[in-house]
Amino acid sequence: MTELSLRLAVSVAQIAVVMGIVMLTVMILTLAERKVLGWMQDRMGPMEVGPYGILQPIADGLKLFFKEDIVPAGANKFMFSLAPILAMVPALIGFAVVPFGPSHKFEIFGISVEPFVISDINIGILYILAFTSIGAYGIILGGWASNSKYSLLGGLRSAAQVISYELNVGLAIVGVLILAGSLSLVKITEAQSGGFWHWYVFALPAPQIFAFVVYVISAVAETNRVPFDLPEAESELVAGFFTEYSGMRFAFFFIAEYANMVLVSCVAASMFLGGWNAPYPGTILEHIGLAQFSWVENIAWFTVKAYVFLFLFFWLRATLPRLRYDQLMKFGWKVMLPIALGNIVVTSIAAYVFPKG
Amino acid sequence: MQTFIGWFKTIIFYEILIGMKATMSHLLHYKPITVQYPHEKRVLPDNYRGMLALLRYDDGTEKCVGCDLCEAACPSRVIRVVSAEVPGEPTKRYAKEYYMDMTRCLFCGMCVDACPVDALGMTREFEWSVYDKRQLHLNKDQLLAIGDRSFPVREKRLELQHPNVAFFNVAFGHVPQKPN
Repeated sequence: MTELSLRLAVSVAQIAVVMGIVMLTVMILTLAERKVLGWMQDRMGPMEVGPYGILQPIADGLKLFFKEDIVPAGANKFMFSLAPILAMVPALIGFAVVPFGPSHKFEIFGISVEPFVISDINIGILYILAFTSIGAYGIILGGWASNSKYSLLGGLRSAAQVISYELNVGLAIVGVLILAGSLSLVKITEAQSGGFWHWYVFALPAPQIFAFVVYVISAVAETNRVPFDLPEAESELVAGFFTEYSGMRFAFFFIAEYANMVLVSCVAASMFLGGWNAPYPGTILEHIGLAQFSWVENIAWFTVKAYVFLFLFFWLRATLPRLRYDQLMKFGWKVMLPIALGNIVVTSIAAYVFPKG
Repeated sequence: MQTFIGWFKTIIFYEILIGMKATMSHLLHYKPITVQYPHEKRVLPDNYRGMLALLRYDDGTEKCVGCDLCEAACPSRVIRVVSAEVPGEPTKRYAKEYYMDMTRCLFCGMCVDACPVDALGMTREFEWSVYDKRQLHLNKDQLLAIGDRSFPVREKRLELQHPNVAFFNVAFGHVPQKPN
């Protein structure tokens, strides 16, 4: 067996595991969203399929799989088919650089493997930002190719919104990049080890708390979630850009939306909340002498952080009404952007005055 | 100072936090008001107006005298009555045919109020969804069957009333009154 094929096999296995986990998370999220939303509104959520409705995502998936796949008359068939794929692939591809656990390396058949990150590339966060921008093309193309005015309006709204708020996401994380001195998510996470006071939200000399708030708000807007769900405003645009989609193509857009939520949660956890680092120095398993199992605790912390973010998404959805379109743009350009820019200036000065180490 | 507090509240998203506190308190004090319908059903009120039914006396004869007053009272023209004389009793009439188109019924209960002999009743049935809406066009036998299964206790027929006197069931002074 050559080294290349071995590396390929290891990578494919890692990709399969990560994809499986992400798809499982998406399935859990579709149920969790309906449940949490129901509980917050004094309802029960899905209760019929399985005990307390826990098998609802499987039933939904089966239903979508067997539904008729309709292409509207006058639609550009190629673009219509391309759009869902173009929306889903960038959402999933970003997970390639997210570190889910500590960067141990171990040797297997003479090649070194990092088990908890698919590929540690040195421009990880730039890679994620670049690919999430491509996701906007899927939405716009889907809206345009449907030959429907509601879809087109939803797509156009989404284009403006995603571009405006991606700018804020990019600027909000610049502060972290200045402090960490790296674009690699693995290095950024490792730089935050040793207790929650080293996380970049709280870390001296320049706590990134404002950048964090800007990032969270912009991430909600970028994933088209309530209260920034103008691209798919049910009460105004039927369903926005995926009005005309049905069956598996609709499911692709749906998976893309939820995978994007998971991705921004993972990125927020890695960039601001210390990623897989526990909020205390080291890990408990290490202190009691089980150092070889400390990765379990680290992965658990990463999961907890990501899920707290996802819960925040649901919580905001249960609470807030939709913004008006001019409010959305005004908020993005006149409030979020100056805060993010100011944060960069303050962080740069602080990093210059108090240089690392 | 007031301006400062206002600014501070804006910065920390005070109003949004209040709203989020409200939703979180509903999540923590989770008391759903949902009634899981096919599994649990709510208690119907006493004056519930459900499916309409034709009633019988305790001897099994129909109460309806075919007076058409229900048809006249019905605001959505649900009821159609074809009245006829009882064979051999020229003063007595009955409903030869009686149709209800329940697709139009709005369950106002005016036919029940209008009936002079209490021949119509509203049951507590409400699960009447069907796949073919023609099944909601009910004839007399079906309506009597609904009455039979929903009103097991039947009213006593006025025994002392001669059938020839019982015109619209109006009792006259010289015949004994219906008890209660």
